[in-house]
Amino acid sequence: MQASPLAHHFENLEKQAHAARLGMWLFLATEILLFTVLFAAYALYRFLFPEAFALSSRALETWVGFVNTIVLVTSSLTVATGLHSATRGDGRKTALWFGISVLLAVVFLVLKAYEYNHHFHTGQLPGRFYTYEGVKAPGAPMYFTLYFLITGLHAIHVIVGMTVLVVIGALARKGRYTAAYHVPVELGALYWHLVDLIWIFVFPLIYLI
Amino acid sequence: MKPSPLPSDDVAAYAPRNYLNAPATGLMSWLNTRDHKRIGVMFLIATTIAFAVGGLFAMLIRLELLTPGPTVMDPMTYNRMFTLHGVVMIFLFMIPVIPSGFGNFLVPLMIGAKDVAFPKLNLLSFYLYLIGAVVALAGMIWGGADTGWTFYTPYSTDTITKVTPILLGAFILGFSSILTGLNFIVTTHTMRAPGMGWMRMPLFVWSIYATSIIQILATPVLGMTLLLVVVDRAFHLGVFDPTWGGDPVLFQHFFWFYSHPAVYIMVLPAMAVISEVVCTFSHKNIFGYKAVAYSSLGIAFVGFFTWGHHLFTSGQSAFDAGIFGILSMFVGIFTAIKVFNWTATLYKGSISFKTPFAYFVGFLFFLVFGGMTGVALATVSLDVHWHDTYFVVAHFHFIMVGAVMMAFLAALHYWFPKITGRTYPEGWGLVAAVMIILGFNFTFIPQFLLGNMGMPRRYYSYSERFQALNVASTAGASVLAIGLTIILVYLLVSLRYGRVAGSNPWLSRGFEWDTPSPPPPENYPVTPVIEHGPHDYDGENITLPPHQHAPEPEPHAS
Amino acid sequence: MAEPVAHDEHAATHRSHMPVYLGVWVALLVLTVVTYAVAKVHLPGAWAVAVALLIASLKGALVALFFMHLWDQRGANRLVFLTSLVFVALLIGLVIADNATRFPLANPPGTRGALPAEGSVREPPAANVQQRNRP
Repeated sequence: MQASPLAHHFENLEKQAHAARLGMWLFLATEILLFTVLFAAYALYRFLFPEAFALSSRALETWVGFVNTIVLVTSSLTVATGLHSATRGDGRKTALWFGISVLLAVVFLVLKAYEYNHHFHTGQLPGRFYTYEGVKAPGAPMYFTLYFLITGLHAIHVIVGMTVLVVIGALARKGRYTAAYHVPVELGALYWHLVDLIWIFVFPLIYLI
Repeated sequence: MKPSPLPSDDVAAYAPRNYLNAPATGLMSWLNTRDHKRIGVMFLIATTIAFAVGGLFAMLIRLELLTPGPTVMDPMTYNRMFTLHGVVMIFLFMIPVIPSGFGNFLVPLMIGAKDVAFPKLNLLSFYLYLIGAVVALAGMIWGGADTGWTFYTPYSTDTITKVTPILLGAFILGFSSILTGLNFIVTTHTMRAPGMGWMRMPLFVWSIYATSIIQILATPVLGMTLLLVVVDRAFHLGVFDPTWGGDPVLFQHFFWFYSHPAVYIMVLPAMAVISEVVCTFSHKNIFGYKAVAYSSLGIAFVGFFTWGHHLFTSGQSAFDAGIFGILSMFVGIFTAIKVFNWTATLYKGSISFKTPFAYFVGFLFFLVFGGMTGVALATVSLDVHWHDTYFVVAHFHFIMVGAVMMAFLAALHYWFPKITGRTYPEGWGLVAAVMIILGFNFTFIPQFLLGNMGMPRRYYSYSERFQALNVASTAGASVLAIGLTIILVYLLVSLRYGRVAGSNPWLSRGFEWDTPSPPPPENYPVTPVIEHGPHDYDGENITLPPHQHAPEPEPHAS
Repeated sequence: MAEPVAHDEHAATHRSHMPVYLGVWVALLVLTVVTYAVAKVHLPGAWAVAVALLIASLKGALVALFFMHLWDQRGANRLVFLTSLVFVALLIGLVIADNATRFPLANPPGTRGALPAEGSVREPPAANVQQRNRP
């Protein structure tokens, strides 16, 4: 562990923390714009194929999406609680709460995998691989293309977020962060909340409308 | 006006401990550096190499177009050449060169900081640039692509040429660009020296800041879009394929949502350079500081509302075309604000007509000419005639090559003493500048005429009646190439044999000249306190730091 | 001098956030149940979308403001977040405006007013598939 977390080119820790937060928010903005491409494609094709999208959406198992939303929202709470422990300088509790969050993320991914598996069996697949008998309207293959792209990209972000939580949780356990300096915990939590934030929009778009 | 003579060939005597020799000089100390100045210099070298490669492709294209039929290559090679010319020039040269190269070197110096906010990310950005360049280059060597740099679907998802590595290369380069932008925004917000409020920031920093906003907001959209094309190529899911209900025009929307603002990623930094050059060489405050500063943000913002003017003939609705046509013209307002302010700055200034100033004059001409034709092209009815002809080619080369290359060369000459500690030969500089400006006009003015006559762009062969103007264009391009080669030669010679510059050879009042040239690794021994705006030539509150007082330090006894 | 570093950011860490976190969590759960229930009712098209997006925006705002602390952090961070949302709206809005006002035949086959989709959706002409599978 270094003597001080203050980098040579900053005047003080407060300024450094401010810079780190701003940098993280800018990064989150790029993430939002990254997802925007898929959301815009979704919006356009939903506009062009309203019936196919409504029918395909109803062909999904809504309860999986519902449970996953609850799981992710709860994991956001546990991450926030972990950050709260970090502000008190309690690294072990931070690690514990982050660990719980990672477990919730695993639940999320398991449910997602169950769902993907189901789609493979029923033929609810993207583009030219689409063989599902339930919905035959033009546009249905496009729905599943976007379904897999959006949930797939989101799942990648869940995995990245889990990795971040594991690393920061482990460092917190080692006592790397203090009540005065715990910016990395804060940034990791921010990333996780963004993953949650995006899912909050994915859930209604994919499952409900 | 002339600085007193300095030791003729020993930079070390003038600036004994500078970023070039401290903390170490080995190759590893460069590859593993966190110093923004070294990263900036590495970016400059890499982008200049890319410029040479892209220029080589350009010369081959012009050579092929010398005659209407086959000249030196077959049609497929020609298609690959213009694709690679576009990809290399845009993604590898113009987008990174000024922000990542000069911006990295200068922004911290100009705001009185020791470094950028995230030095490690800065180095990562450089390596991402290298990796992206290598991946794209691998695609080129492996066979290249024939889609044009715009990768329009459905052709790009179907062509058998090697589009995928080039797309992935551009994707990686995008992240390099994002990291640089992120770094500059945070640096500008948090690292300014005490006393430097937003309204005391050099205009260079304002423009780079506006550029960074575009990089942050637009680049992810391009990245995701290119990934979608890669996925489509691999699995044929048909996101943009009508067979599966996809809309190819959606790709164009996504692509230009990035790529139109990307024009401002290239032009805003050019304007940044020009704002500095015009002050220094007319020894005068900028006219209307606030207007110039805010118009940078205005261009960045309005630049996002104009992407649809690339889709006028693609099947976009008349409603959208109308909106985008009108909004596109607003860019002209902000650009005009800048042009008028730069021109007004010259008024009653004491102008020293050095090489950077020559490029400023060229820049102004090319920007106005290119901008005016741009406004004409934003008119939907006119665009239908000119779209996909050489008129468009000439228009965007006036902005992107004319204006941006002028600014690049101005920056190269203006800050050459700052970066290397040596000066270049002024006479040769002016000769090359004249050749380049004339050569450029001879290259592209014929293309305006060709386009207006109806010669389509991207074609391998053309009808006989276009030949005379094509020959003129190729001849102009040759003069341009010779001019650039002259610059390369004398700058390389000056690196070793140039006269030692001293800290402030231009007698500029820009903040970056407050340090010795080349600057020490930590930029400023003590964090400076800023007490006046940039380029404060009015004399009321001039407080020159001690080492900036002319004459320069006496030569050390040898 | 940088703009004043928000001092309440720092002060905020001394106040307990836990009650706020729990409150937000409960609100998020309730809203999730509500949106799920509303979807089961099958409101007419446009309303279903409007209600679902409204609830999602409400939930998103809660996460951004309280979990992500935009409520305590003023200035630049908020601006960054809001700016990104403006550009999200810009891209989606103008893209849909294009297809909505387009000459209908210029829209992809199978959409209203455009050409019918070629044959069965699942099996486009064999030649077409082959062509697209070219190496």
